[in-house]
Amino acid sequence: MINLKNVSMKFNLGIEATSFKETFISLFSKKKKKKTNNDFWALQDVSFGVKKGEVIGLIGSNGAGKSTLLKVVSGVMKPTKGKVTVKGVISPMIELGAGFDAELTARENIYLNGAILGYSKKFIDQKFDEIVEFSELKDFLEVPIKNFSSGMTAKLAFSIATIVNPEILIVDEILSVGDIKFQEKSKNKMLEMINGGTTVLYVSHTLASIRELCTKVIWLEHGVVQMVGDPKKVCDAYYKKQMEK
Amino acid sequence: MTAIKNIWGNFKKYKFLMMQLISRDFKVKYKRSVLGVLWSILQPVLMMTVMAIVFSQMFRFKVEGTNYLVYLMTGLIMFNYFSEASSNAMTSVVYNFTLINKVYIPKYIFPIAKCLFVGINFLFTLIPWIAIILLSYVGLGEYPASINAWYILLPYIFACLFMFTLGIGMIVSCISVFLRDMFYIYSIILTIWNYLTPVFYSIEILPTSLQTLFKINPLYMFISGARSIVLYGQRPSLIQLGTMGLISIVTMIIGLLIFKRKQDKFIYYV
Repeated sequence: MINLKNVSMKFNLGIEATSFKETFISLFSKKKKKKTNNDFWALQDVSFGVKKGEVIGLIGSNGAGKSTLLKVVSGVMKPTKGKVTVKGVISPMIELGAGFDAELTARENIYLNGAILGYSKKFIDQKFDEIVEFSELKDFLEVPIKNFSSGMTAKLAFSIATIVNPEILIVDEILSVGDIKFQEKSKNKMLEMINGGTTVLYVSHTLASIRELCTKVIWLEHGVVQMVGDPKKVCDAYYKKQMEK
Repeated sequence: MTAIKNIWGNFKKYKFLMMQLISRDFKVKYKRSVLGVLWSILQPVLMMTVMAIVFSQMFRFKVEGTNYLVYLMTGLIMFNYFSEASSNAMTSVVYNFTLINKVYIPKYIFPIAKCLFVGINFLFTLIPWIAIILLSYVGLGEYPASINAWYILLPYIFACLFMFTLGIGMIVSCISVFLRDMFYIYSIILTIWNYLTPVFYSIEILPTSLQTLFKINPLYMFISGARSIVLYGQRPSLIQLGTMGLISIVTMIIGLLIFKRKQDKFIYYV
């Protein structure tokens, strides 16, 4: 379903630094400007394949390149080098509620966010009640999102994102959303999708949930794949390495 | 050509999103205002009343043999469309960065949605515009406006204006991603452009040498085309109509191509 071949991703960290002042100064300074190396490789030569129905866990410390990897897979970013092939419909849950407009009501936002995720009007009309039901926000439909608590917003976003049965689901740290009851509910929803044959890419720092849900784990560090394989083995190795530091 | 085809395919696919973005703009724009969408008509009417009073009563502007009010309004609504739509399109990509960074959406959807949104507002401004034309026709002002069969050409001219605006909007939105200073630069460019376009004065007050130069301005082509219909009942020459179409299509294609070539790099400039 997903195939990454020698994928590398380069960021230029110096982009912000070239202000007018600096350009101006460098024009007049006799000293040849030292060519600073601002290149930062967020991913280096990452290759792996994901088969249908697999649940892949991604682990690694902050800044290891996990989110970048998800963005590359979901098509938000194009890799600097290498090739990404994805077959199937992706439902990204990289950051919940990214498409919300705070001024609009929950009802309006369901349509807006649904459209952003690529749903058709007919589809949202059909699933509207189901979304509302799952989000437990029936009484707040006409309230602008800006008056929502962060938990409520996340619940709504989760409900919209999971209403489809996507072929590929990308999840970035979102199961810790909402209150305990909702957490349990959202976990069940995900399990249901996994059992239904959805391929999942799952990023989390909670090793327990990785162990529980995933069939394969990829450990990334500084953009390089450290280890791929059995969840238990990789998680243990990762945990040991983290504690050593 | 394949690029255009791709864009068209995506356009169909993301039609609903486009509609949602446009309706969001409407909702957000008029949220909490008592008169709501009515402002879409009221605001241009009031603005133009002010402009009309300032230019015709205070500065005593007039164009010989022409109904000045209609002359002014035609120029104003068209130039305002261009300036508002292109500057909204410019900021649209940058303002939606949070979204672009999270979900894959074809990015050209934002400038297009803005140009359409302002376009709908433009259609509202046509209501007071036509009202003024009718009033002039029955005797408001010194000279009457004209009502004739060539009005069927107006949608064509407006379509040219739209395509031209979209092209420019694409280009400036692309530049502004890489160079945020464009926000400020473009507002100055628009001011200059406004004065260089004979909106409230007649091109005939300029020396002949300058006139030719001013006539190259595509916006003036559109405006004078519309004016010759509503004021004098004359069809713009076929050459004029052809040039208009050509310039606007070429501008739009250039805009789309530049945007397409650069859009993958946008993400690094968030």
